[in-house]
This record gives sequence, C-alpha cells and structure tokens, in this order.
Amino acid sequence: MLHIRFGDMEKVNYGPSWFKFNYDPKWLEDSFVQKMIEDVDKTKYMGGLVFDSPVLGPIPPEKLSGGVQTLIMIYEKPDLIFDATSCGDNCAKWLLEIGKMKDVTVNLKYIMQFPDDLNIYVDNKGVVVRSFTDYLYCAVDYV
Amino acid sequence: MTGSHRVIVESERIKYDFVIRRNITVIQGNSGTGKTTLIEALNEYTIRGDAGGIRLQSDVPCVVYSGGFNHYESFMKELTGSIIFIDEDYAFINTEKFAETVKESDNYYVIITRQPLYNLPYSIKEIYGIRTSGKYHFPEQVYHELYPLYDEEKPQDNQRDVLLILEDNNSGFEFYKKSLKQVECISAEGNGNIYKVVEDNINKNKNIIIIADGAAFGAYINKIEFLIKKKHIGLYLPESFEWMILKSGVIQGADIKKILDKPEDYIDSSLFFSWERYFSQLLETKTENDQIMRYKKNQLPDYYTSELVSNRILNVIPYEIRRCLIDIKEGN
Repeated sequence: MLHIRFGDMEKVNYGPSWFKFNYDPKWLEDSFVQKMIEDVDKTKYMGGLVFDSPVLGPIPPEKLSGGVQTLIMIYEKPDLIFDATSCGDNCAKWLLEIGKMKDVTVNLKYIMQFPDDLNIYVDNKGVVVRSFTDYLYCAVDYV
Repeated sequence: MTGSHRVIVESERIKYDFVIRRNITVIQGNSGTGKTTLIEALNEYTIRGDAGGIRLQSDVPCVVYSGGFNHYESFMKELTGSIIFIDEDYAFINTEKFAETVKESDNYYVIITRQPLYNLPYSIKEIYGIRTSGKYHFPEQVYHELYPLYDEEKPQDNQRDVLLILEDNNSGFEFYKKSLKQVECISAEGNGNIYKVVEDNINKNKNIIIIADGAAFGAYINKIEFLIKKKHIGLYLPESFEWMILKSGVIQGADIKKILDKPEDYIDSSLFFSWERYFSQLLETKTENDQIMRYKKNQLPDYYTSELVSNRILNVIPYEIRRCLIDIKEGN
C-alpha cells in the first residue's frame, strides 16, 4: 500500500540524488520502470544505459527527470522513504500503481493531484483514504 | 532591482525564452517538462560562460545557486541586480532565514519547487509551468516557454445568496461590509485562514466568493485550488485593496496610470518585499494631504464608501464576479 506522510520530515531521502549515484542498470530492464519513464518523460528505453528523449536525443539514465528518478527509487528501494515532492502530478498514478505492488512510504510537501479512485494510508492521521476528497481533507492540515 | 527582464537560454537543441517581472518567481508543474535542464544549462553558463556551448541573453546577470546549505546567505548578499535560480533540492528555500535573505537583497529569485513557501510573499501570477511548443524531433531545437499555472476563478452562478470571504480585516473588509450591505462578509483575518473559513461555510448553500491580495497569495493557492474547482467558488485576486482604489481612478495623479501599467518598473525589490506594500505606501502618499481622502490601512475614511466612489472601486472587479455582488446590492 502507498503510505504518505505530509509535511516536514526528518531523514527523508532525495530521489534524484539517490538515483544518480546508486542506480542498478538492471532496474532499467524492468518493463514497469520503462512504462513509467515512457509515460512521465515521453522517453523510450533503447537498451543498455541509453534512452531516447524527444527533446534531448540519446540520454543516459542520469538525464531522466527528477520525478521519474524518484519513482524508480521508491519502486526499487521500498524500505527507504523518499521525498515525492520531486514528483509532479503526472507521477501520481504511478505512485498508486507502486502502492498496489509494494508497501512504500513517501513524504509529500504539496497537494499532489491523485485520480479520484485511490487507496492511500495517511501516516499523519493513521487512516486509509479512498477518495480524492478524503485525501485532500487530510493533506490540508499538514501541507 | 526593478523592471522586467527577458531571459533567453539557448543551445543548438534547446531554447528557453521567458520574462521575469518580480522579486520572486516560482516554477513548478509536471515532471519531465525541462525544469532541471533549464537549471543545468544556466549552471553551465554560470561556470563556463560562453565557452560552455550555452548562449544567454539577459540585461542582468543570471546565476544558479549550487553551493552548500549553509553558504547561500553570503552568496546571495554578495550579488546585486541579478536573477538567482535555485533548484528544488535545497531545503533552505522554506526557512525564515532564506526569506530574510530575499527580503534584504537587491536580486530577483527564480525558485523551482512544488512546495508552498509560506515565508515568501509571491503572487499566483508568478507561478509558472514550463511547456514546449510545436512538434519537435531531435536534433531540432526545442522551444520552451513559461506559462502561468493559476488564474482567478469565476463563481458558477449568481442565483444564490453570496458569502464573501475576505483575507483583509482592515480597510478592505470595512469597504465591502459598508458598500455591499446585503452581502454577508466574513474576514478570514489572513491568507492562512482562508481555507478553514471556506471549509467551515462550504455547506451553507451559498455562492462563495473569495477576495484576497494576489500579490502574496502564491503559497496558498495549492491548498485551495481543488476546493475552488470542485465547489465552483469564485476567486478574485487583485494585487491588494489599495491597488483596487488606485486602479479605480478615484485618486488623482497623472503618474498613477503609468505606474499601474508597469508596476515592475517602479517597485524596487530591495525596498518592497511584495507589491502590496508598495501600493499601500503609494496610496497613503497620494492622499496624505487631503483631509477627506487620507487613507489609512486600519481605518477607512467615509469617502471610499460613499456610493459614487465605492461603485467605481467595485467596478474594478471583473464582471463575472461583480455581477454576483452588485445584483445583490441592487436587490435584483
């Protein structure tokens, strides 16, 4: 399940930096990771350490967006807590998808726009929310 | 620093073209739109100048802060008349100390963050996303521009009674309360309380309209935007109540129109942390020698609520919102 802790939090990890210095090339071969990259960055995996960006051309993993790098870290290192504030609204559906597969906790310092059908555990309140309205009413107290 | 400054950052493959108008600009929006690429390109230029393959056109220096958490203060104090770009990975952007540094400096700041920065008074008009225009294929140059992410909202109807929620608890509140006698007015007593007041009144079956000082509402818009869209709440964000008075033309002064047309040319960021403070001072200065019009933020002279004058001030409000207020005032 996706757990969110809103607001300031100690010992939270910054996804883009973690990714750049710690990624495993095998992660990039995972079809779920490739789908996230294609959807968020509009960038295709070409094999090895090469991606095809419509803007930048052939790029290495380090040039992926901070949002998608953070998503990959959340997916690959579910035991660590990452700051999902690096992720834009277009990452929201992927956070929910990761939450369907794994127990992950993320920190969030803004009100991310999730789809209305969601299943999120809000750590600050200790409740599960299943609609965007309920999620919003929890988030506003802490963001 | 004063004025608006066009910035063009360009290589063979990318081009960013935008104008910075105030001391604080925030860039946010979806992932993968090119925010980090902009910072990286500017950073290359900061380090290597023209030798790095990046071209920069700007009438003022553009600098990326890439130092440590504890060194920003001295770095920013040393610079004057520059645009300083700060990427999202710096936690200090949300501290009071950073706000003080911005307040005391003569630079403009472009901050990349989705986090609301409650210590900084920034306008919703200066919150941007980045978008690319046209179809593009590598290696063609891709053009990026900034676009405003937020706008004012029209209320859905003018049939129900209006509940007017005001950020102001001083002269602005007094003005609406006296000028719109048949409209229920509530003061939220600050931007930070508006969400709570809206939430407390959301089920009253009233046509809710919010009026707040836009010049400093940037940090609060993320919290309230979903509620506004879902419940069709009207949102009007003039720079400030004093700006409305100046805009209405009830105060004489040949230079007022010129100032309001391009405030950025007159508002020195080292003297005014936010534009609302400038407009308050301008109004006070323009009326200080007039017994009837002398404006004070904490006590509104009767002149401003007289029918003729108040109608002219209310006319500054966009029609879609005004029709809800005026119709009720006229008993229609």
